[in-house]
Amino acid sequence: MPEFRTLHAGDEVHGLFSPREVEELMRVEFARAQRHKYPVVCMAIGVDRLPQLADLYGYESKEEVLRAAVAVLRAETRDSDFLCLRQDDRLVALFPHTAPELGAFLAKKLLAAIKKQRFERDGRQLRVTLSIGVAHNRHEKAISFETLVRVAEEGLSVADQGGGDRYVETELYQLFEKKRKQEELAKERKELFDGLLAVIPRGPAQPVAVPVPGDKLGETLLEILKSLGISVSSFEDLDKDVIAAAISKMADAKTGATSGEVDEAKRTIDMLERRIGKLTHALGVTEEELKRIAAMKNVELGQASIYRTVQGLSDDASDKERKREMMKDIFHANFELKKRLSGHGDAPQGG
Amino acid sequence: MTDTTTKKDHGVLYLGIDLGTSRTSVAASNGLRATVLSYVGYPKDVVARKLLQKDVLFGEEALEKRLALRLHRPLAHGVIQGDGKDAETLKAAQDLIAEIIRRAKPRADELVYAVIGAPAQASIQNKQAILEAARKSVDSVMLCSEPFSVAYGQDMLDDVLVVDIGAGTTDLCRMHGTMPEDSDQITNTFAGDYVDNQLAKEIKKVAPDAQFTKEMVKALKEKHSSVMERMEPVIVELPVKGKPTPIDLTEGMRAACKRIVPPIVEGLTQLISTFDPEFQQRLKNRVLLAGGGSQIKGLDVAIEAAMKERLGGGKVMRVEEPVYGGANGALKIAHDMPSEFWEKLK
Repeated sequence: MPEFRTLHAGDEVHGLFSPREVEELMRVEFARAQRHKYPVVCMAIGVDRLPQLADLYGYESKEEVLRAAVAVLRAETRDSDFLCLRQDDRLVALFPHTAPELGAFLAKKLLAAIKKQRFERDGRQLRVTLSIGVAHNRHEKAISFETLVRVAEEGLSVADQGGGDRYVETELYQLFEKKRKQEELAKERKELFDGLLAVIPRGPAQPVAVPVPGDKLGETLLEILKSLGISVSSFEDLDKDVIAAAISKMADAKTGATSGEVDEAKRTIDMLERRIGKLTHALGVTEEELKRIAAMKNVELGQASIYRTVQGLSDDASDKERKREMMKDIFHANFELKKRLSGHGDAPQGG
Repeated sequence: MTDTTTKKDHGVLYLGIDLGTSRTSVAASNGLRATVLSYVGYPKDVVARKLLQKDVLFGEEALEKRLALRLHRPLAHGVIQGDGKDAETLKAAQDLIAEIIRRAKPRADELVYAVIGAPAQASIQNKQAILEAARKSVDSVMLCSEPFSVAYGQDMLDDVLVVDIGAGTTDLCRMHGTMPEDSDQITNTFAGDYVDNQLAKEIKKVAPDAQFTKEMVKALKEKHSSVMERMEPVIVELPVKGKPTPIDLTEGMRAACKRIVPPIVEGLTQLISTFDPEFQQRLKNRVLLAGGGSQIKGLDVAIEAAMKERLGGGKVMRVEEPVYGGANGALKIAHDMPSEFWEKLK
């Protein structure tokens, strides 16, 4: 993005664009992606346990780690990708021309890259990891930049609460898009009502802001008046009662819209419940399939969770033999304890 | 498990539990982690029961409503108080374990296998009480030395000295590639509660009329604890004859926290000096500080300084997650334990 290079001086500490500048750049990039239909991936990235790090080693350490993390992220991404620092020391990155599956790959790459780094403070090694929320614009409801960022931040929050050092993709586009629309609608309504209320004469001393045909408020008012059978070219001579009638009509429209929204929300809930049902069924089928494969490979069953790899509980751990010996010792100690407590028991066969 | 009607044929949920005097934590193989203050409360009477709408309360909620409760802290020095001979204390411990397992959200159709961290030198009666309390809620359970589980969780099994500072006990454990034996482990009671008592004495010295409770002292310690030479002033407000009065606790806080350093270094010296001389240097440079008490600011540096004086040097590292260090390690052990072993202990 050579045309944006001049904006590069926003954040002197981290060498990043200022949040406002990058947000604008990202918005433009997102709009371009929507127009030309190419994929973008958005990531919300947080350095795990950063506040605790500051408590333990001081504010400078936190800044140092954050700066180093930014350097790693820069090294692992392309020049054309966007990276900015948001509030609470969280980063947002936008990757143009990146498919969702590549987004997951990239997240894994970033998690691995940060772990390879050696961070030191007062001669002590710090283990720095990331939490990443991943969102993309391939979902039909990912139609605004705000939605994309909110979904990514939700993913980050889940990853962070799960213990960090992981990435999470969520599919909450519909939820956040709906929220965004509702917020926009509420804002528009407020503007409209404020405008309409302003034109009601409230005494001789009160200044009246009169909308004019041509501006947004004026056009809306004209439409309402037309639907009431009143044709006007200027609002200045409008009777107070006519304005009141227009407001009343607007209020009716609002009530109608609210009940319509409730119906839509109900439909959405039904749909989401159906989707949960389907996903639960799919999960059951997957678990059955995993069991079948595990049985074929003659490996130990019994891990119902999908989190074993995430928690470092995979079977390919190093020192397998030695650890097995240790497990045997722990078992024997517990078996002896059980025997002593119950006063009997079979001799353990060991591993 | 009490519910035997559900067929458990959908695998196993592994749990690592750190049963602590101050707080109890769980890490589960389904990705969930939870921690609760080790307080259990039962309504004092029918009126309290009606008001609280609960038969038992846990953690902060129990602490908050303690005036209406028979409040129990079922663990002392890392084990069940009185070896579980008091019926209500044992019940409180059972309820606490059941609660922490409930927070790991096991499904009804899966087996629950748990590894519980116990102090390195807990007596057989202590261990029996913990096992009895746990068996009500899990299908199979094992006990494991707390500092060992911390080291196992960090994958630091060779030439490491773990110092696990809890509320009731400080456990020191020497790891040398095999299961630690009794001679590799030392437990003392110079831990979080000891610091609280010392801090209470320091407050009395500075402000003899100040009014406070154990919980208030604990909260002050958790917020301000430090042994650093240059620390931020600790000015706290405590009621004196009913009036909130600012008290400078900077020196008192440092002095109270510092008193656990000599016993720790004494234990380290004992474990290092009886180790293979060829590997003593390596052991000195791999001291791992864990547990809630390790959050005292500057403790690692203070131990290093004392080690330099006593042992000619040493290097201390902290675990990153003091609250979950033990539970994470216990979970890893639970997962690595072959299934036939679990079966045999059912």
